[in-house]
Amino acid sequence: MIEASNVKIDDAVLVERCRRGDSAAMERLILRYQNRIYNVILKMCANTDDAAELTQETFVKVIENIDKFEGRSGFYTWAFRIAVNLTLNYCQRSVRLGYRSLDADDDERNRSAIGGLKEFLSDDSSPDPAAVAQNKELCGIAAKALMKLDEAQRAVVVLRDIEGMSYAQMAKVLSIEVGTVKSRLSRARSSLREILETMLQ
Amino acid sequence: MKEENPNIEELLNSFIDGELTERHRTEVERLISHDARAAQRLRELQKCKMLVSSLPRAEAPAEMLERIRASLERETVPDQQPERFNERRGARHLLARRVLTAAAMIGLTAVLGAVIYTIVVPESGPGMPIAVEDSRPVDRVESAFYGRLELKTSNLVAVDASINRAIEENGLSDYASERRQGDKGVYTLSCSRESLRLLLGDLEGIWERFDSATLFVETNQFGEQVVVDTVTAEQIGAIVNQGTLTKRIELSEDFAALNDMAGLLPGRNILAAIDDTGGDLITIPKPRLTRPIKATKAPAPQVKDEEMVHLTIVLAGSE
Repeated sequence: MIEASNVKIDDAVLVERCRRGDSAAMERLILRYQNRIYNVILKMCANTDDAAELTQETFVKVIENIDKFEGRSGFYTWAFRIAVNLTLNYCQRSVRLGYRSLDADDDERNRSAIGGLKEFLSDDSSPDPAAVAQNKELCGIAAKALMKLDEAQRAVVVLRDIEGMSYAQMAKVLSIEVGTVKSRLSRARSSLREILETMLQ
Repeated sequence: MKEENPNIEELLNSFIDGELTERHRTEVERLISHDARAAQRLRELQKCKMLVSSLPRAEAPAEMLERIRASLERETVPDQQPERFNERRGARHLLARRVLTAAAMIGLTAVLGAVIYTIVVPESGPGMPIAVEDSRPVDRVESAFYGRLELKTSNLVAVDASINRAIEENGLSDYASERRQGDKGVYTLSCSRESLRLLLGDLEGIWERFDSATLFVETNQFGEQVVVDTVTAEQIGAIVNQGTLTKRIELSEDFAALNDMAGLLPGRNILAAIDDTGGDLITIPKPRLTRPIKATKAPAPQVKDEEMVHLTIVLAGSE
């Protein structure tokens, strides 16, 4: 909690300096959030070039509109709102879906990944998260399944399970009620499970 | 389990996300210790979460800061590089897209203007001085409203309960009948416009739970209706509030066009995000009602036939 408030105070100070034209403050804000924003965008669009482009566009909009930022929510939430909206907008318009490259994987590798997934899903014991993270094939299949969700569902899963946002923060970023976050996340995880099971067939 | 009880699904998800109160957490713990299916479902959800959480974290390209700085500089001094822009192969395409966007914006503004005009202009017409306050009711009602509202939701049970509660709390139980058609809930309302406004005020709170909302407004031609897709509670209030059938149809057509165009506009949700106002993802500029949709709740009074609203609400599941 203490750390969170410190971050907020720091952000507020940097935002204020940025408004006064302090380019060093602007750079610090960018450096502070660029990786997290890029990572969230990449997980939503699954294309590194587009993710870099959208991250750049996000920060340009953030800096250009920093005078409009009223501080009703934290800078972090505001910046993510812009990033997620840009990405959702891109996903809706784009015909170039990111999982294209994953589809191009060779059959043998896919078979091996499916085997790993089967083992993971059928194992009743609690798997070790670190072991799962090191299993590249399993991660690849997870990324592919994620891209098969619709954009709105993908956004809640990414914000919660990758960015680690609370339901309240997600509600602010997505401009929806907390109740909607809960129901959308619930549906998204059910869909994800169904997608994974379909992959096994 | 999803079909059986979506609330348990939500509870289990909130449980694994650590978003439950102590009391609810204890309830879920009790549930999973007694219900093997719930425990199994919890494990499945945990695995889904773990799988996504395990995806490797990516880092932004090293030159990101430089790219942002360069982009900001370009946008600050666009006149310094006009030739380079014109040489780009995509320049013409970009221009065409901008022209199309501008045309769409102009079209939207025109429709919006027409909608606002329809709502705010006094009924007595052009001879009336603008600054004079009209003490008569906003609309002189000449004909009853007939229409059907089709709602779809993936949370049928909860939404059904909310609608029932809203009907009851607004004293509309005597003016509404409910029947079942398969999985659909059909509510037939015959009430005053005021009562409908109160009901809509309550339903506005759950509007986000509707995956689709379509209003069918009856015209004077048998079997002919104006269809307003992605209609909002405010828009229904405004349509019903029109005193004459002609105005009602005109406004419905305007809203239908407005909603269709808003759905087609590129980049419509970005400005809302920048605004930091907490608006919806898709923010459509809407005319405000001349009166608030929420008002003091009172028993539905006796009304004349022409002031009645006859609305059938059909609630169905999304899938």
